[in-house]
Amino acid sequence: MSAVGEQIRRFGRRHIVNHLVMLVCFLGLVLTGLPQKYAGEMWAKGIVLVIGGVERVRFIHHILGTLMALQLVWHAIEAGWLHLVRRNAMPMVPLLDDVKNLMQQIKFNLGLEKRPPRMDRYTFAEKLEYLALVWGTVVMVLTGLVLLYPVRWTSLFPGEVVLAAKAAHGGEAILAFLSILTWHFYFVHVRHWNTSMFTGKLGAEEYAEEHPLELARLRRGEETAPAPLRAWRVGVFLVFTLILVLGSVFLVAWLRGSVAGIEAFKAAGTS
Amino acid sequence: MKSKRFLNPAYCLAALTLAISGIPVWAADDRACLECHGSKQQVADAASAMDLKLTAERIERLVKHPAEQGDAHTGIACADCHPKANEIPHPADMLKESPCVTCHEDALKQVDQSAHRDPKGGSQLRAPCWACHRAHDVRPIKDPASAMAPVNVASRCLACHAKKEYLVGVHGQAVQLAGLDVAATCVSCHGSHDILAPSEKGSRVARRNISFTCGKCHGRVAEAYRKSVHGAALTANDNPDVPTCVDCHEAHGTLDPLLPKFRLASPKTCGRCHANEKIMAKYGLSTQVYSTYVADFHGTTAELFRAASPDQPLNQAVCYDCHGYHDVESVRSSGDAQIQQRLLTRCQACHKAATASFLSAWTGHYVPSPTKFPMIYWVRVFYRMVIPGTIGFFLVYIAVDIIGRRRTRRSS
Repeated sequence: MSAVGEQIRRFGRRHIVNHLVMLVCFLGLVLTGLPQKYAGEMWAKGIVLVIGGVERVRFIHHILGTLMALQLVWHAIEAGWLHLVRRNAMPMVPLLDDVKNLMQQIKFNLGLEKRPPRMDRYTFAEKLEYLALVWGTVVMVLTGLVLLYPVRWTSLFPGEVVLAAKAAHGGEAILAFLSILTWHFYFVHVRHWNTSMFTGKLGAEEYAEEHPLELARLRRGEETAPAPLRAWRVGVFLVFTLILVLGSVFLVAWLRGSVAGIEAFKAAGTS
Repeated sequence: MKSKRFLNPAYCLAALTLAISGIPVWAADDRACLECHGSKQQVADAASAMDLKLTAERIERLVKHPAEQGDAHTGIACADCHPKANEIPHPADMLKESPCVTCHEDALKQVDQSAHRDPKGGSQLRAPCWACHRAHDVRPIKDPASAMAPVNVASRCLACHAKKEYLVGVHGQAVQLAGLDVAATCVSCHGSHDILAPSEKGSRVARRNISFTCGKCHGRVAEAYRKSVHGAALTANDNPDVPTCVDCHEAHGTLDPLLPKFRLASPKTCGRCHANEKIMAKYGLSTQVYSTYVADFHGTTAELFRAASPDQPLNQAVCYDCHGYHDVESVRSSGDAQIQQRLLTRCQACHKAATASFLSAWTGHYVPSPTKFPMIYWVRVFYRMVIPGTIGFFLVYIAVDIIGRRRTRRSS
């Protein structure tokens, strides 16, 4: 059916760059975040020593966190353009079929079903991870902003929110880290050594196994061209983007109004 | 004691001779002694003449020079302390028993009551006068060459007492390096002739008395301490648990409390007692004050900061920034509202824009529970359930998937 060693394009440059940025941010944030959560442990102190002090650890954490937040905003803008304006399909959206596929896969694995589910562009495992990532990033960015500007937020919320945000930031971090270590590693490193997220291409055999529905569509040449631009769609997209960008800028400007106070600390603290 | 000299006939005679003749004085009969003891060669010659085999070290020790300018004992003859010296060869017990008591009766009386007394009650002092003052060349303490000048005290005491930390402590360095003769030496805190072991009630360094001893120089600080919850408990009922000055500052290796190092180490210092279950149980105090501090932002930073740069200034709050130090009070001695008000002032010292609602961003050392800080508690419970639930599901799914793939590979 397919030539041996045939490679099929799965991801474009946009996907590859997005993934790389996320990868660097994620690993860097874990490396600089965990020692802060487990400050009493020897390994935490070791990491801080190697990086060169807790201030540098925090600086890196803040820079990477900012980058990740920007990526989140960028992702929303990107999604707006691709799906609102160009009317591309939204294969990441979870459907009832995904639950059915999951059940069928489990049954198949247990020997209760003859065939594995035939899945489309994204398997239920990929959709689950994508949703977890987006949800997790939203939680981490919001709670991170609370932790970064605690005084400012307490003009709106009781102080307890700051500590609740801290608990959530730490909990969500552990959840994300362990998810990557289990779910992500299993599917893209153990089950298959899948490099398509870096090269953009996946072997035809693997494609046929994991995404038979999409492959069949590709073979039939059924991929739809992007919809022509429509003025009103572009307009809505621009308004949406403007609100998002301006909202982010105003939020940061408002938050940063509170920073100056920290500088005035008297180190000796005489009383 | 100085005035006693004038009751001593030998001293008076020497002083009189000096006054009359105006020449450097050592009693005329010392010349005979110096004939043998004047130089190494002389000692060696005399020894060989008497068929005595002396080590080089012993020969060295037997060399005596005429008293130099500034010697407090100028005019006291060798024979005044060594009355049997005219017998040659000298008898073994040629040193007069307690030679110093003739002039320094008061000092000897004090030593006889001190930690340096003869444990058997006799006159064999644990530390005889010359252990500290030297046997010869005794000088007034104002003379920097005196064995008991502030700069030399430590070296005399350290010869027997292993407290070398003093030399790197703030007091030792002030005396030794900065030349501050007013800084504390051993005798400033322990006393001199009347020195007592710290375990004895009247000792200057007994727990009860320490704040007064330090207070000789650090007066206001000591007074603030005695009014604090720690000091008051010590004064009121000899409380064995509260810290005295030396428990936080160290007795000998006293660290300058203005050094960043002291500040960084201070949470651990407080934690020594306040994280100790045994001690805190007596007073119904929580032992989680230290762990809750480290779990909070300030403590986390302090803990990690200390790991990488223990001697750099830290701008995070430590225990005493909120609780005070010498004047530390019990939280029970103030009302809740008063505490909140003071806490806000304290927070605003760094977080200028902080308002009252910022205060609950710190649990006040409480561990969140369904009643205290429930929001934090429930977030934690949520993740404590979601994390194992999610990861557990992942692992089970993966296990099943691995089993399934093995079977299909075998069948194909």
